[in-house]
Amino acid sequence: MKIIVCVKQVPGTNEVKIDPLTNTIIRENVPAIINPFDTYAIEEAVRIKERSGAFIYGISMGIPAAQEMLKEAISLGIDKGILMTDRKFAGADTLATAYALSKGIEKIGEYDLIICGRQATDGDTAQVGPSLARTLNIAYATDISRIIEINNNKMHCLKITDDGYEEILIKLPALITVVKEINMPRLPSIKSMKTAKKSIIEIVDFQYVEAEENRTGLKGSPTQVRKTFVPVHKVNNILIEGTVEEKADKLSEILLSLRMEVK
Amino acid sequence: MDKTFNKMYAEYLRDESRQIGSAESIIFPNTEAEIIFSVKEMSLKNIPITTQGARTGLAASAVPHEGHIINLSKMNKVTGARYDKKEDRFFLTVQPGVLLSELRKYIANKSFIVTDWDDKSVDALKHMEKGQWFYSTDPTESSASIGGIASCNASGAKSYRYGSARDHISGLRLVLADGDVLALKRGQYIASDNRFSLITEGGREIKGKLPKYRMPDVKKNTSGYYNMPDMDMIDLFIGSDGTLGIISEIELELSKTLDVNWGITIFMPDEDRALDLVRALRQEVKIDNISLNLNPSAIEFFSHNALNMLREQQKTAEFSNIQELKDSYHTAVYVEVESDSNDKVWGEVEKLGEVINALGGNEDETWVAYNLVNLEKLHDFRHACPECVNLKIDEIKKSDDRITKLGTDMSVPDNKLKDVMKMYNEGIRENNLNAVIFGHIGNNHLHVNIIPGNMDEYEKGKELFLVWAEKVAAMGGAVSAEHGVGKLKVPFLKKMYKEEEINEMRKIKKIFDPAQILNRGTIFEFVEGDQ
Repeated sequence: MKIIVCVKQVPGTNEVKIDPLTNTIIRENVPAIINPFDTYAIEEAVRIKERSGAFIYGISMGIPAAQEMLKEAISLGIDKGILMTDRKFAGADTLATAYALSKGIEKIGEYDLIICGRQATDGDTAQVGPSLARTLNIAYATDISRIIEINNNKMHCLKITDDGYEEILIKLPALITVVKEINMPRLPSIKSMKTAKKSIIEIVDFQYVEAEENRTGLKGSPTQVRKTFVPVHKVNNILIEGTVEEKADKLSEILLSLRMEVK
Repeated sequence: MDKTFNKMYAEYLRDESRQIGSAESIIFPNTEAEIIFSVKEMSLKNIPITTQGARTGLAASAVPHEGHIINLSKMNKVTGARYDKKEDRFFLTVQPGVLLSELRKYIANKSFIVTDWDDKSVDALKHMEKGQWFYSTDPTESSASIGGIASCNASGAKSYRYGSARDHISGLRLVLADGDVLALKRGQYIASDNRFSLITEGGREIKGKLPKYRMPDVKKNTSGYYNMPDMDMIDLFIGSDGTLGIISEIELELSKTLDVNWGITIFMPDEDRALDLVRALRQEVKIDNISLNLNPSAIEFFSHNALNMLREQQKTAEFSNIQELKDSYHTAVYVEVESDSNDKVWGEVEKLGEVINALGGNEDETWVAYNLVNLEKLHDFRHACPECVNLKIDEIKKSDDRITKLGTDMSVPDNKLKDVMKMYNEGIRENNLNAVIFGHIGNNHLHVNIIPGNMDEYEKGKELFLVWAEKVAAMGGAVSAEHGVGKLKVPFLKKMYKEEEINEMRKIKKIFDPAQILNRGTIFEFVEGDQ
C-alpha cells in the first residue's frame, strides 16, 4: 500500500498572533513546526503501516527550510519526504496550493490513499484537502475520526459531524482529511530522530513537476485577502437580584424582550 | 458568633493539606500598615495569629490554630523593579499575595501596572525589554502565592539547575510580632562568630546567637530554621513558615530565559536501571566511557506503579490526551534541558541514546520534545501524576472523609539514592500498601504517595512515614525538602533533630516573637505557659 501524507509548516505556537497593522500572522521569534492537525494524518498513516504494511510519502510545498519539518515527519514514521520548493509556487492560495500538490503527487505515480490534516492552524481554511482530491479527480471524505477497515481497495471509516458520525465506504485511491479524535500522535524517539537526521529530503521544483505557470503561485491564486481580524465575542452579563419569584419574573421579562418563547 | 464565623469563612480554615482548623477573626489587609495595625492589636490582647497566602501549602502552615487570621491575598501587586547594570541582573519587588501564575504572566508579557511605581523602577523596566526573563522557582501549583513560596522555601522541578526559592530572594520586609518592621537585603546582615545583630525600622536592635545544630547535606531542605555559620540573616526568615514575622514585601531576582528547551521522557526496563540512568545524567558514573554532559535543569522520576496508574486513567476522558504508554514501558525518567543552541543539545541527546542502550534500555523507548507545543504534552503527562493521585484520594474520601493525601517530601544526599528507593519499596511492600512514587529524583527528592483504600491503610501509611522520617534523618537527609514543616510534619522534624536542637529553634523564635503568637504550632508544638 502506498500512502501520501500532505504536511504544512506553521508557526509553533498554540496562540497565533496577528499584526494589527499589516493583518498578517506574526512569525518572528516563533519557530516553525508541523501543522498540529497534520501530525494526526502522519500518525494514522504510520498506524496503517504498522498494522498491514505500507510505504509512506510525506509531501509539502514550502520554503527550503521546510526540509527540517519533513525530517521531523520522518522521525514520526514516514518513509520519504518530498519538498516542492520554487519561487513560482510562492504566494499560492488554497486553489493554487492544491493544484501544485496534485502535480507533485502525479510525479510520485500510483498511490492508494492520501491523508491530510483537517486544516492548518495558521490559515484555518480546511480547503486544500478537498480541493486536491478534486484536482486529482479521486474520491474524498473529510473529518474522518476512525478508519475501521481497509479491504479490497475500499476503506470503511467514520466521519464526525455536528450531529454524530457517518459511516463511509470509500473506493481507493481516495483522499481523507482527519480530525483530532482519530488518534494520539506519538512523539519522536531518540532513535527515530537519529534516522531522520540522516535522511535526505527530495527537492522538486516547478519545472520538474511540469506545472502550468498561470495555475501556480500568486498568478494562479484568485483569492485575495482584503482584511483579517480576530472576531470579538461580546458577552453582556446581567445580574438579576431579588427573591426567587422576583428573579424568575425579571428573567422571563428579559427573555421575552429577546423574543424567546417562555412556557 | 464563633460558629457563624467558622461557617462564613470555612474556606480560610483549611489549605491544600486538607486539614481543618478554627479561628475567631480574619483580616484581608491591603497594605503593610494594615498588617501592622492588626498585629499590634492582637499582640496587645495576646491573640495568636496565623498568616495565609493562597492556601496551597501541603503542610498545613496556613491552617489556623484558633485566634486571628491575616490573609495576604489582597496584597497582590508588583510594586517595583530594579536593574543592576554592572552585573546585568534584574529584580522585582512584589507583595506577598501575588500568585505565581500572575507573576509569570506579568514577566512573560513584560507588562506591569506601574501607576504607583517610582521613576527608578519604571526606568529599570526598560532594561527588561532587551532580553527574556523568568522566575525560576516552579512548584507544580502555580496558584501558590509568592509569600507562601518564600515562607516554605519552595522549589519545584527546575531546582535541579536553579536551586530553591531562597536562591532568588534578595530582599524581605517583615512585620514582627510587636508590629515593628524588619527590612533585610541580601548581604546586609551577616552573622559572625555565631552571633547576629539586626536593626528594625523602629530603631530597635535584635541580637542573638545562632543555634548549634547542623543542617543535612542535601540540595533541597526546608526542615526547620536555616542555620549556617556566617550565614546571611535573610536566610533565617526564608523557609521559616511565617513563625518569625509576617512577610509584607519580597524582592525577587529573575533569571534569563534560554531560547532552546527540550524535554525527554525515557522509559527503562526496570527501576534499578532507571536509577543508574539518573546517576549517569548527574555525571556520577560514566557508562561505556561516554562522557554525557546534558546539564539538565530538571530530572524527574515515575515509578512503575505511577505509570500503571496513568495507564489506567488514560482510559478516562479526563486523561485521554496524555501520550500512550506501551506495555514494555516500566519505569520512566524525565529530563528537561535548556540551552542556547539546538545543535548542542542534540549532540548530547545522541550520546544519551547510547547511554540508554548501554544500560540495557532502548533509545527508541523515549519521547523527545524540542518545541513548546510538544513540551507542553510532556508537562501534561508529568502533571497527570499528582492529578491522578488527588482524584483517587477524592474518590476514597467519599467512603471515609478522615482520609487525606499521604505524600512524602523527603530528600537525601546523592550517594543515598538507591538506599532510599529500597527503603520506600520495602516499606510499601511489607505493609501491603498501594503507592506511587514520582518527583524530583535529580535531587533525590521523591514524592511517595500512598493511596489508602481504607482508614486502616491510612493509619499504616502515617506510621510508615514516621519510620521513613527517622531513617531518612539517619541517612543525613531532610524530612521536608520543599513543602515546609508546617503543622503536619512537626513529628517528622523530631525524628530529624534532637529535642535540644528543636529547643534551640524555639529560642530563635522567642527572640523575634517572645509571646509566640505567630503561626503557633508550626515547625514545633506550642507549649502553654512557655513564654
